[in-house]
Amino acid sequence: MTGPGKRTGIVLCGGRSSRMGRPKAWLPWFGRTMVEHVVENLASAVDEIVVVTSKELDLPPLSARIVIDRTPELGPLAGIREGLAAAESEYALVTSVDAPYLSAEFARQMFAFGCAAAPLDEGRVQVLSALYPSAAWRRADELLSQGVRRPLALLEECDYKPVESSEFGRGATPSAWIGFNTPDAYLDAVRLRDPNATAEVELLGRAAKKAAQSRYRLPVGSLGELLAQLPESLSLTHEGRVAKSHLVSLGGRDLVRDLAVPIGPDERVSVIDALAGG
Amino acid sequence: MDGFHGCYWRFDLGRNEGERIPIDESVLRRTLGGVGLGAWLLHKEAPIGVDPLAPEAPLIFSFSPLVGTPFTTSAKFAVVAKSPLTGGISDALSSSHFAIAGKRLGVDAIVLVGACREPSDLVDGRLRPTESWGDSAEQTARRLASFGRVAAIGVAGERLVRFANLSADGRHAGRGGLGAVMGSKLLKAIVVRGEIETTIADPERVARLSKRLRKRAAGEATAKYRELGTIGNLLSFDRLGVLPTRNFQQSQFEGAEALSAENWHATRKHTRASCASCTIGCEHRFSFGSRETRVEYESLFALGPLCGIGDPDIVLAAAHRCDELGLDTISAGATLAFAMECGQRGLLEDGPGFDSPDAMLGWLDDIAHRRGLGDRLAEGSRRLAESIGRDAIHFAPQVKGLELPGYEPRSLQTLALGFAVGTRGADHNRSGAYEADFSEDVDRLCGGAHSAVRAVETEDRAALLDSLILCKFVRGALDDFYGDCADLLSAVTGEVFLADDLNSIAKRVVDLRKAFNIREGWQPSDDTLPERFLNEALPAGPARGARLPRARLEEMIRAYNLARGWAPDGSLPKSLTVERSAELGLSDEGWLGGHQRPIATEA
Repeated sequence: MTGPGKRTGIVLCGGRSSRMGRPKAWLPWFGRTMVEHVVENLASAVDEIVVVTSKELDLPPLSARIVIDRTPELGPLAGIREGLAAAESEYALVTSVDAPYLSAEFARQMFAFGCAAAPLDEGRVQVLSALYPSAAWRRADELLSQGVRRPLALLEECDYKPVESSEFGRGATPSAWIGFNTPDAYLDAVRLRDPNATAEVELLGRAAKKAAQSRYRLPVGSLGELLAQLPESLSLTHEGRVAKSHLVSLGGRDLVRDLAVPIGPDERVSVIDALAGG
Repeated sequence: MDGFHGCYWRFDLGRNEGERIPIDESVLRRTLGGVGLGAWLLHKEAPIGVDPLAPEAPLIFSFSPLVGTPFTTSAKFAVVAKSPLTGGISDALSSSHFAIAGKRLGVDAIVLVGACREPSDLVDGRLRPTESWGDSAEQTARRLASFGRVAAIGVAGERLVRFANLSADGRHAGRGGLGAVMGSKLLKAIVVRGEIETTIADPERVARLSKRLRKRAAGEATAKYRELGTIGNLLSFDRLGVLPTRNFQQSQFEGAEALSAENWHATRKHTRASCASCTIGCEHRFSFGSRETRVEYESLFALGPLCGIGDPDIVLAAAHRCDELGLDTISAGATLAFAMECGQRGLLEDGPGFDSPDAMLGWLDDIAHRRGLGDRLAEGSRRLAESIGRDAIHFAPQVKGLELPGYEPRSLQTLALGFAVGTRGADHNRSGAYEADFSEDVDRLCGGAHSAVRAVETEDRAALLDSLILCKFVRGALDDFYGDCADLLSAVTGEVFLADDLNSIAKRVVDLRKAFNIREGWQPSDDTLPERFLNEALPAGPARGARLPRARLEEMIRAYNLARGWAPDGSLPKSLTVERSAELGLSDEGWLGGHQRPIATEA
């Protein structure tokens, strides 16, 4: 059921975030998670928000309807289909969860076009910062059944309006469609907002007993970059990984040994004993 | 076969006489000792459908082939009975010289049946009126120390508190109400001493392997236990959002820092101790006031965050009081926490309240003595919930009647499966599936069919360690788990045990426990978690939003049952019951289906 004049924001966060090493939805963004940040940024510009996720990914409590993507392996078009099918408006702004600079102002500008529309930045159509007619979910379904997985194909079928990035006002800069698929790109986005962003490393268990200091405030970076600034005598790393004797918790959620994972702003990194429990 | 005596001592408390009953070597080879042999004896000795607190219900002390050897942590025994808390099998372990002295009686197990005519001690194979009724297990043991090694109950066991424990050398066979079983027999203490050494097939090899195990167990694999003790879990669990708080309403506790090992080791006077024959020394004792007490993570979480108590002195005093009274700290804390939430919701009047440290010791006393509301609390959270009615059972923190240990199942979903299917109920010692959750290769917030294999693996390993018996804290010191265990066992017994043999034994022990529950009335619907964990997402903290939908849990349970070779609903296939009963010389009456009769819930 769609209603004229209503506005829906659709946030896609069911991807595997494989290059990031941890779910993008839970990456920290200055005091909240990415999914909370994007939902809150959209909130004042839309009447409802639909968050599309996979059944494997739990999300923090959100002021949004949660829709499970039945076929996340088919890529973002499948998520768009699920979101549009759930939308209760004529048009929906679709965004991915890695859109830290998406603003309500950008969303309002997009809805003002009143038709399918997508930003065009240096010749690239920003399909995950675009306005789609909600009724297009059926067409998305057909495309997927034909083996087509590109969201651009759906936009083209909707006769979308390409909008040059220069047409967006000041409220939409930095660009709403800046995203990140790699740890470096995420950290670049963080530093774009605050070049001095920091995270906290906390030593627990045996490491805390051994160290003179158990808490460190360090600039954001990869886990390896942060641990390299702690006393070598703690022996927290070994052969390019967190040592077997320890495990690192990121924000209390992900447990990792991969030194390449990014550590975001205000994130708490807890170094715990590997043999937790028992 | 060396390492065994080939018999058990069956003592009838009603008749004040015992006899030695041979155990076929094939049974010992297939069940080893500890919980394995104990489960076999329970099948053999317990009448089907017996009331756990009736005289006919057996209470079994089961030793093992490694008891009396120089292997570190091997001085352990299992206590096995039908649980008055769950109505299913309860098998709890304790470490102490009691194990060594008991095996020196020349038996592989002691089975107590019947009931004394008056409160008694069993000393040197004869009953005598006890002078300790009303005393703590520790006081009782001191009084009887000149006669041998003592296992005894506290007041809670005497009063048939359904989660009363049984103690030896200050270590407790804690879970499932085994102390109440002993109390129902009016037996305060059993004292053992003997001079019959068990033969060891290859002493030189045993010495060599023992030295190697000792060396490994002194290394990195057990460093956490040595340096911090199990209470080292608390602050890490808080950070990971797995620390059950205020009856599992939250998964982080604002007072965690004050209760942490990190804090206590820096600020509090403390000493270390070891169980008999143990070179690890995981026991950390902390001072409170002018006293000191041993405290483990499970006591700390249950009497602290679970009840909203952040005062270290109160938590230490409560842990000490539980030991004096003979209460299982997990069930005591969890039942209190449940009552606290019932009060919070207006379902229970004049009960305990969260964040009320001053009342804690009084409530523990009331439970142990069954005074006032304590009488209802002494029944455990499931029966309390049933007596309260309405939706209380939905947030009673128990599985099959056994209260959950200190692990939040929504944010540890492999372990959640282990809890749901556990034959003893919600149990971190029979299912070590948290090992999978606390690793980088498992998404602990999203279980699935893939969780089943990990749950089976850790449960099998625990079943083997509990049958050998070795402490679970050495598990990390074994490079090739089954292969190393097979080496130890072969050296002691002189028989060839291969890694695969030991894996088969572990699976047999799990089957045997399940079969016992089935014959006592287990139903497939018993394998689940309380509604709270299936319907409510965690509200805050790093795991906020984590949920374990019923469909996901059911998928996991089905996968677990299939991985075990059981029917999808958890029943035992006919072919398996025929095989197991035949190889162990047991009747398979009641093993099939799990629909025989309801689990007994009343004494």
